[in-house]
Amino acid sequence: MNTPQIVEAVLFASDAPLTPGEIARADERLDEDQVEEALQMLKAEYDDAQRAFHLTEIAEGYQILTRPEFAPYLERFDNIPRANRLSGPSLETLAIIAYRQPIGRIEIEYIRGVNSSGVIRTLQDRILIDIVGRGDGLGRPLLYGTTQHFQEHFGFASLDDLPRPDELPIILKDRMPLQEGEGDLDKEGTPAMSDLGESPAEEQPDNSVNESAKDVVL
Amino acid sequence: MDLRFAEGAIVRDDFFLVEIERFQGPLDLLLHLIRTQDIDVFDIPVARITAQFLKAIEGLDAEDLDSAGEFLETAATLIRIKAQMLLPREGDDEDEDPRAELVRRLLEYEQIREISQRMRASEADRGRRFSKGFIPARPKLLHQEMPLETMWADVLSAALAVEMPTPRQGLHRVTTRTISMQEKVVLILDRLQDQSGIEFSHLLKGFGDTMHGVMTFLAGLELTRSGVLFLRQSQPFSELWLYRREEDEDEVSTDLGVVEVDS
Repeated sequence: MNTPQIVEAVLFASDAPLTPGEIARADERLDEDQVEEALQMLKAEYDDAQRAFHLTEIAEGYQILTRPEFAPYLERFDNIPRANRLSGPSLETLAIIAYRQPIGRIEIEYIRGVNSSGVIRTLQDRILIDIVGRGDGLGRPLLYGTTQHFQEHFGFASLDDLPRPDELPIILKDRMPLQEGEGDLDKEGTPAMSDLGESPAEEQPDNSVNESAKDVVL
Repeated sequence: MDLRFAEGAIVRDDFFLVEIERFQGPLDLLLHLIRTQDIDVFDIPVARITAQFLKAIEGLDAEDLDSAGEFLETAATLIRIKAQMLLPREGDDEDEDPRAELVRRLLEYEQIREISQRMRASEADRGRRFSKGFIPARPKLLHQEMPLETMWADVLSAALAVEMPTPRQGLHRVTTRTISMQEKVVLILDRLQDQSGIEFSHLLKGFGDTMHGVMTFLAGLELTRSGVLFLRQSQPFSELWLYRREEDEDEVSTDLGVVEVDS
């Protein structure tokens, strides 16, 4: 049995994304690089052979998923009630958290202009976000970040896969009101998203506005 | 003259009438006012927008203090900015523009909304790709969770151990009953001569064949039907008692918890 076959067997038997590290557990002679190489081979193989599925990079791992064009056939089997799609306010709040994590409730509410505690709870219940730390501000506010399930739900390969601000006409401001606590969060593998806004923007409100925003938030 | 304008808004006499319930919050409303009127977000006519904003929130439900408060807070901010615009500014530093922070928030909010739309698209796209287990499994058996430890070899040896039944004769032989009911009627009456009741099982002692049991039971039923006996059983599947029917039978039937089977 060669490596791609072993990797294929593991992926086939799984119904969740697996990282190369996890796949490598199948055999002590395997290392992540070999698995990564095998994954690329399998990926090309499926694409060349026009299989009904492909090897998808999702949630920092790999998973065999059917191609979207087969959805109409598969949806006929869908007799399990599925969770509703996210509401507008939920999605809006989730977007803020995804780009600004770790972020506290007060700052989310400042950006949205409305109370968001209910929406945050809903997102937590759906395991799309989780508490990832505490800020240093008054009362050590809880900070939220997105979960792996968030990436699975939206089909993002990683947080870098989020719609990039530089593709958008306006850039998210490089505001860092919550530098504190990033040390802990890095350990948990939650990247600090504070550098997202560094690329030049067409229209960029002045940076000094930032400073005043910081005052309001904290 | 009324004129349908953008969704949720009606222009009347240069004024916006807005259905406040349609908006998720003050920023949403503000952005709507600006975008539907093609206003340059970097040069917001604060007086006009403030007037429109205040008009829009006139219909706010005062009962819902939380959401009303959010709109009122923004209204207050607008009025403050309007006042600051009227005051002479020192120098011409852009940072001093009292609208700057509001503009920044609006743009940021608008961007978040844009990102939300893209995430909505990603969500829909992901929803069209399926993993193993999407199609529901067949109805599960009760002990489905327990892995089956029986190997095929076990099944095979069990199958080999089964004796093949000899093929049946094509003919069915009808035999006369070798045990007669009359014989059993005599037995029961005989045994009940020196006692008023007897257990059914006692009547079977000494007789091996099942047929003896069947015929004894039938004899008991027959005697009961003809009023010679009555049958008692304290509960289903317990011992069956056969009693001689006598004049004082009422005494016996007062026993507690007794099921009467006699006719």
